[in-house]
Formats: sequence, structure tokens, C-alpha cells
Amino acid sequence: MIHVKNLVKRYGKLVALDHFSLDVQDGEIFGLLGPNGSGKTTAINCILSLLTYDKGEISLFGEPMSPTNYKSKKKIGVVPQNVAVFNELTVQENIDYFCGLYVPEKAARKPLVEEAIEFAGLADFRRFLPKKLSGGLLRRLNIACGIAHKPELIFLDEPTVAVDPQSRNSILEGIRALNASGATIIYTSHYMEEVEQLCSRIMIMDKGRAIATGTREELTALIHTGEKLTVETPALPPAILEQIRNLPNVLRADHGDGHLKADCKGDGHPIIDVLDLLRQNNVSFGQVYSEPPTLNDVFLEITGKQLRD
Amino acid sequence: MFGNIYCKRILVSVRNKGTLIWTWIFPLMMATLFYFAFSGLQDAELLKTIPAGIVVSEEYESDTALRTTLQAVSDPEEGFLELHTYETREAAAEALTSGEIDGFFSLENGSPKLSVSKNDLNQTILKSFLDQYVQTRHAVISLLEKGDTDVSQILDLFQTETWTEELSLSKNVPSETVNYFFALLAMVCMYGGFQGLDSVSYLQANLSPLGARRTLSPAKRFPMVFFDLLAALTVHMACMLFLLAYLVLILRVDFGTGLVPVIVTCLFGSFLGMSFGSFVTAISRAKEGVKVAVIISVSLACSFGAGMMVSGINYKIAKTLPVLAWLNPAARISDALYCLYYYDGYGQYFLNLGILAAMTLAFSIVTAFFLRRQRYESI
Repeated sequence: MIHVKNLVKRYGKLVALDHFSLDVQDGEIFGLLGPNGSGKTTAINCILSLLTYDKGEISLFGEPMSPTNYKSKKKIGVVPQNVAVFNELTVQENIDYFCGLYVPEKAARKPLVEEAIEFAGLADFRRFLPKKLSGGLLRRLNIACGIAHKPELIFLDEPTVAVDPQSRNSILEGIRALNASGATIIYTSHYMEEVEQLCSRIMIMDKGRAIATGTREELTALIHTGEKLTVETPALPPAILEQIRNLPNVLRADHGDGHLKADCKGDGHPIIDVLDLLRQNNVSFGQVYSEPPTLNDVFLEITGKQLRD
Repeated sequence: MFGNIYCKRILVSVRNKGTLIWTWIFPLMMATLFYFAFSGLQDAELLKTIPAGIVVSEEYESDTALRTTLQAVSDPEEGFLELHTYETREAAAEALTSGEIDGFFSLENGSPKLSVSKNDLNQTILKSFLDQYVQTRHAVISLLEKGDTDVSQILDLFQTETWTEELSLSKNVPSETVNYFFALLAMVCMYGGFQGLDSVSYLQANLSPLGARRTLSPAKRFPMVFFDLLAALTVHMACMLFLLAYLVLILRVDFGTGLVPVIVTCLFGSFLGMSFGSFVTAISRAKEGVKVAVIISVSLACSFGAGMMVSGINYKIAKTLPVLAWLNPAARISDALYCLYYYDGYGQYFLNLGILAAMTLAFSIVTAFFLRRQRYESI
């Protein structure tokens, strides 16, 4: 559905997109994950023909994308990062206006607008002006304006920024519902938990480059880091900590705040080895937690920095 | 699509507080201010009766001709004198000194004399009146002394023969105050710039998130901006008509002509104002507040040049800097209304409209040049 090859976009000397390539299939929820400034929004704006680019190929629905490709534009829905609605129009009028740019016939538009209002949970606020809405409701209005015309392909650019947890869950549920109804979704975020929960495939971006692409499992398999072990140990002699660090399946280990934290390799049985060592040395311990590696670990191992740096 | 864009844009405009204040409320306040500030000025322009005195002596009582003439010219309905009578010359002189009267007549050895304390317009009128009276009186006496005078010859003396034809340049009474209202209308036309600003900002992806969202839609660009501007023009013309109605029906401002050409002038002015606002918005990526400030400043400066704040400044500019006067859109709008008020012909009026149309076209071409871009270097 989306094919991007070797896209290069420069702002003067700054390379915003560096030979960026992307392929998205029908029915996917594709996540673009990366820290702020990594080039996610620039990539989307280039794909949508809003920005010029220096080099590369972009096609949507099998056709080259251009500002006058109205046929493709009709099938696309966009939820921009910044809320883009008329402050002087009510919730219902805003949705009707933007839906009207895609569906000119009023009769055909009416049920779509109603559906979008219900979908976004804005039925009680339909006559409210945007300034009367909370941040979460405003984001939901922004989404409703982008999806009311039932697009086949939806771009959601950081739709949950500055949103309370309750609204965030509601938005994520809505996105799943849109996908279930047949829409392909491109979702950008710097919140890795959202992307992990939501997306069937993920691309991790940094400095305008795609540094890894795949399912969550495929991405975590790319790195050496396996599960992350946390053991409640009020006191841990330094010599024992050193022995733990020297275990064959342990990559890193530290002790602080009464907890031993160890990053383990992807194979072997690190939990058993660590606990055996503690028991043999009479180190008392309490609760034990084990977490699988996250996308942040993937990002950390590939780039050497935290995803939210 | 037309109905959707047109109707919603009208709603956006009428609910916009900035537009409401600057183009609806502010002009009404200015009009009301002008009305109260300049109502005295209008009265001052009318010729008032001149306060004058006559010393009622025995000689005066016996001079039937003078008495009858003074009674005629001090008629409360049609006369131009407000005649005060005094018993003595001293009493009349005292009234003259105190400013109660502008001059007084007295008879000395059968000849009427005029006494004034200064040389001003009213004193000149009194002097002219007396000269004409004395001249006619002498002529009548001379004719009667000849003995065989025909009555028709005497009557001829009282008929003023004019050998030149008096042509009025104006079909309406000259008025200083009406120019202020012309300039006010010109200022509101220029405030159409706010509508142009909104229309272009709502369309350009590099100027607002709304612009980006609209650019991404499958709606074609020029129909979209055309419908948008049409709605903006509708709202602005409604604002102009509202102001005109207030001026004509409430403040009773006389535009001296049928209102249709006045409305046509406002329409041309509104086109100009909107195209100016579109131009300012399209050519720069400065913040919206800066563009609003530019539109307000230019509008006020142009209105100043059209004579909104200082009476007659427009004439001085036209005399000393004619190019500036011709390039000032507010001055052209104001001058078009001036032509409708004073001139019988429409030549100068159409010239002004032509200049406004040319300016509108120039602003629109530059704006269109910037609007034709649909992909941006940066957003």
C-alpha cells in the first residue's frame, strides 16, 4: 500500500531523512518509533506530498504520490500532530467540514459524521466549541476530523501527546477498531509502550534513518539483551555482585535501593543461575521479577542511547 | 463542496471575536464619535443671522425708506439681520463693544452710517448691504427729481441683472464632516484584509496546521480558496452594509446620492482590502500577530492619508505628493465617495474604481503566485 525507496530530505546542511525506505502492507498497523527529531513527521509529510524532497520514490496505492493525486488523497485520512480544527466551529461542525472535503454530498456525509462523533466519544460535546474541550477530548476531535470519511489509509502522527491515561486508552482502542474495520494505519510515536501494544510491525528511526524494522519479537531477537532480572536483596556484598557479573548469561548487573538488577543474554537460564548463586552465598532475597526485553533495549543496544533522550 | 466551505466559513467569520471587534464594533464606535464630535462643525458651516443695531432717532423715524428696508431684511423667516434698536448712539456703541452686535446703523444729516469695531465677514456683509442701499436710494431720488420718470425705470433699479451664469460644481451642500465618514468607510474596506488573512492562512500548509489539513484533502485548491474568499466577501459586505445602515438610518449621514453607487464603491474597496490581506499573509511566514499588526497599521495610515483624523490632509497630500495620494487605496475609496457627493459626472468616480481594481488585481496576482505552491520546503 505504501512504498518508499531511498528518500532523502535535507534542510540546508541537516539531513532529515537519509535514504529512508518503507513498505507497508494492507491491513497493518505500522509503527514509526523514534525520539523527537528522528524524522518521523518529516517522513509522513514527504509521503503525503506536503514537503518537497531531494531524492527518492514514493508511491501510494500503487501510484506515484503527488499533490494533485486526488484519487489517492480521497482514500487517505490524516490526524496531524498539532490539533488542526476551527476554533469557531462546534465539534459537529468541524467534523462535518473536514468530512465534507472528502464527501461533498450532504446526505452521504451525515451518517459518517454521526459515526465519527460516536466513535470518538464526543456525542455529549457535539455543540461545544473546541476551547471548551479538555486536552483529551480535543485530541479525539482531531482524530474524528481525520477519519470521518472512512479512509483506507490513516496516518496518525503522535495522536496521544499530552493526553491523560484514560483518553489515551480510549484513543488506542479506537485505533484498533479502525484497523479491525479494514483501515491500514501508520502510527508515529515516541511512546514505545503504545507502539509495542498497538502495532503489528514497527520501524525504529533515529537521525532520519530506519535502524530496524520488524515485529516486536523480530526486533527484540535482533539484540543480545534477553530478559531483565530484578531481585529484592536488601544487602549484597560487592564480591557476590562481581560473581554475578561474571556469570556466563549475564551482560550487566548492578545493586541499588535494595534491588539487584541484571540484564541477561537471550539464551540459557539466567534466573536459576543468579538465584543459585545468592542461595549458595547465604544472601537473603525477596521478590523476583523477570521482564522480556523492550523496544527501548533494542534502541539502546543499536544506538547506545535511550529512546527518550 | 461549495455549500460546506461557504457556510462554515461564514460561521467562522461571524464567530471570530477579532473580526467582530475590528470590523463591526470599532467602526460603529468611530462613526458615533465622529457624529458627536463634528455635529457642531456642520452647524457652523450654515450662515447665521447677523446681529446688528439701529439708533432710533427722530430722523430715523421719519426716514420711511430705511426703516422699511431694515424691517424687510430683519424678517425672522427670510432676513439676514437680527435687528436690535437703541435709543442713543452711546447705547448702540456700548452693545457693539460688548459684542452683542456686530455693527449698528445711525442716520447723520440724512445719510445712513455704519459703525463696526472690527473687519470680519459679518461686518463686510453689513457694509455691502449699506452700500447697495445708499446707491439705490440715490438713483431713485435722481430719477424722481427729473420729473418725467417712468415707474418701470424705478422698478428696474430693484432688479439685479446678472451677466454671468452661476454653475454649481456640487449637487449637494458642501460639508466638511461627510469627508470623515468617507474616510471611515475606506478604513473598514481596508479591514477586509482580516478576511484575506484568514482565508490564506487556512489554506497554506506552511502557515497553519489547518492549512496543512486542508491541503491534504482531495478538494482542489483554487475552488477551495475561491469559495472561501466568496464567503469572506459576503461577511465583509454584510459588515459594510451594517455600517452604512447605521450611518444613514441612525446618524442620518447624507451621502448625497443614491446608495447603490456607494455600495459599489464599498464592494470595490472590500475587494481591495481582502486582496491586500491575502497578499500580506501569502508573502511572509511571520507570525499571525505580526500580519494583523501590519494590516491594522497600513489601514490606519491609509485612512489618515484619506483625511480620517485630520481634515484636509488628503488635499495637502494630493497637492504635494500626488503619487502617494493615487497609490493610497483608502484615499481612492474616499475620493470615489467624494465624487459621488459633489460631482455630477462619473468620470473621476470611475477612474478611482479603476485604480482600486488595478491594485486588487496586482495584489491578487502576487498572492496567486505564492498560493500555487502545494509542496513546501519546510512546514
